[in-house]
Amino acid sequence: MNLRNTTIAAALAVLLLYGGLILSLGWFFDGASLSKALWSERTLFSIRLSLMTATLAAFVAVVLAVPAAYALSRFRFPGRELVDTMLEFPIIVSPAALGAMLLIFFNNPLGEWIQAHAVQFVFAFAGIVLAQFVTILGVATRLLKTAFDDVPREVETIARTLGASPRHAFFTVTLPLARRGLLAAFILAWAKAFGEFGATIMVAGTMAMRTETLPIAIFLRLSSADIEGTVALILVLVVIGLTALHFTRRLLGGGGHA
Amino acid sequence: MLEIKNLNVVTGNFHLRDINLAVAEGECHAVIGPSGSGKSTLLHAVLGVLPAQNGHIQLGGKDITRLPIEQRGLGYVPQGLGLFSHLTVRENLAYSARARHMAASDFQPLINQLVEATGIGSLLDRKPETLSGGERQRVGIVRALASQPKVVLLDEPFTALNESLRRELWWLMRALQQERGLTVMLVTHDLSEAYFLSQTISVLLEGRIIQQGDKATVYGRPVAGDVARFLGIETLLPGRVVDVNDGLATVEVGTTRIVALAISAESKEVFVSIRGEDVTLQNHDTTATSARNRLVARIVAIHAGSPLMQVELDAGFPLTALITRPSFHELELQVGSTVIALVKAPSINLIPRRPGEKYS
Repeated sequence: MNLRNTTIAAALAVLLLYGGLILSLGWFFDGASLSKALWSERTLFSIRLSLMTATLAAFVAVVLAVPAAYALSRFRFPGRELVDTMLEFPIIVSPAALGAMLLIFFNNPLGEWIQAHAVQFVFAFAGIVLAQFVTILGVATRLLKTAFDDVPREVETIARTLGASPRHAFFTVTLPLARRGLLAAFILAWAKAFGEFGATIMVAGTMAMRTETLPIAIFLRLSSADIEGTVALILVLVVIGLTALHFTRRLLGGGGHA
Repeated sequence: MLEIKNLNVVTGNFHLRDINLAVAEGECHAVIGPSGSGKSTLLHAVLGVLPAQNGHIQLGGKDITRLPIEQRGLGYVPQGLGLFSHLTVRENLAYSARARHMAASDFQPLINQLVEATGIGSLLDRKPETLSGGERQRVGIVRALASQPKVVLLDEPFTALNESLRRELWWLMRALQQERGLTVMLVTHDLSEAYFLSQTISVLLEGRIIQQGDKATVYGRPVAGDVARFLGIETLLPGRVVDVNDGLATVEVGTTRIVALAISAESKEVFVSIRGEDVTLQNHDTTATSARNRLVARIVAIHAGSPLMQVELDAGFPLTALITRPSFHELELQVGSTVIALVKAPSINLIPRRPGEKYS
């Protein structure tokens, strides 16, 4: 096989792997079980909880990521390289380890004080949001930095020669020009938060109808050998995830060069 | 109006050194130089994008060296990428007024005048990506002028355009500059553009201003070999002054002696610079002429150009003549034939040469 065919075969193998996994769900697919599982109060609670926590986590992550990414894109400052490196921290450290670190933090004096006097995180709604937030902040910042890198500095300079303050230029020129990247970062961060499991289970546990997000519901159903119910919930996750990816690619104009 | 005094700017490994420059009110001043000479660094320092290491930038007598960009009172038209693509043309033009919280009645009449003068009335509701290159530049110019800047900075604004469009916009820019009395600092490597648009010129080479003055003097009498080379003067050769008498210098160039206007008595080693269009060709040495230099020359090469033909001569030294196509045909010039090359003494520019200075 020549180079072209070999590389195309490798690309198709990627599709075959993930596509095959999705298709294999069909082996245990049962329409009646799917409907029953989907419309059960517990599943609807999981979906509702995941939607709320993922939306909140993605929103907070983007609110912090926007200024952080802009600083990384535009300014030189002490610790910049370190910050840039740490954006990949949630990827290289497993989500379970991240969750464990949060749990350990809340067993430190400062964490205990926060839990006692401010917000209860461990085994609570806020803990799910925090776990998802910590997992997605890096990727949201990285995506936004790329979006700001794509906005030429020159347009900001021009805006300022036209009388705009740096803040006004940011809100009226830079941010609108980076809006597609901003939206894509939000959607991807949201989808990643929606499917987050490892950190969430460490911080919030697996309490049915309390901290049972959709991924945790999948885990619990599989643990109790409810395969049809597991398949039904996985399909919900897959549909939401693929829809998010589709919109992200459309926003970023993805598709490669060929 | 705009005065730059002893300005030094360091960016990376590049150092802009001791820049002194003045742009009078209502004047267009061009800063010319090849790529990497520091033109953009100078412009960015004036804009306030790059900090000055030392020195001062004054605008209308006010020191703006440390002022933020938005408080300098400068307009800016860059080469490209300047329009805000998320806004319509109308919104781009009104951006300055909005940023300054001005009432529509305070800025709309000026915008209307500029829109009419530049013929962009039909573009107002379009987005920048639907505009042609020339239309974008017109909008960029109007937007900069609508902010009522004290000085307009143009950074190679027409370089990306084709020749005919570029010339069209030169005329437009010159009309705007002269009719409105705009003070303009133009940065460009395009010699024709600088000559067409500006009244005065600075030549910037390797971070230093080498020559300044009115454009005719700079183009006609470069003061250094590097400047003459950048200006593309066709004949630039080392020579030696062997005699000075009554203001005229006899200069040995190659195996030939020519006569030029003398420069300082100390300069014996010189560059001889002769523009191709200052060389006249004759078939026969018959008619009397006032030209001090009548050189018997052999044609060694002919390059067809438009609108001028470039004739390479051996006159005891390599000499280039630029002549029109009709003259070329009337003289029936051919490679190998002998002609008389006439050069008036004032058309030969002598440039002091440092010992060992390269000439090619």
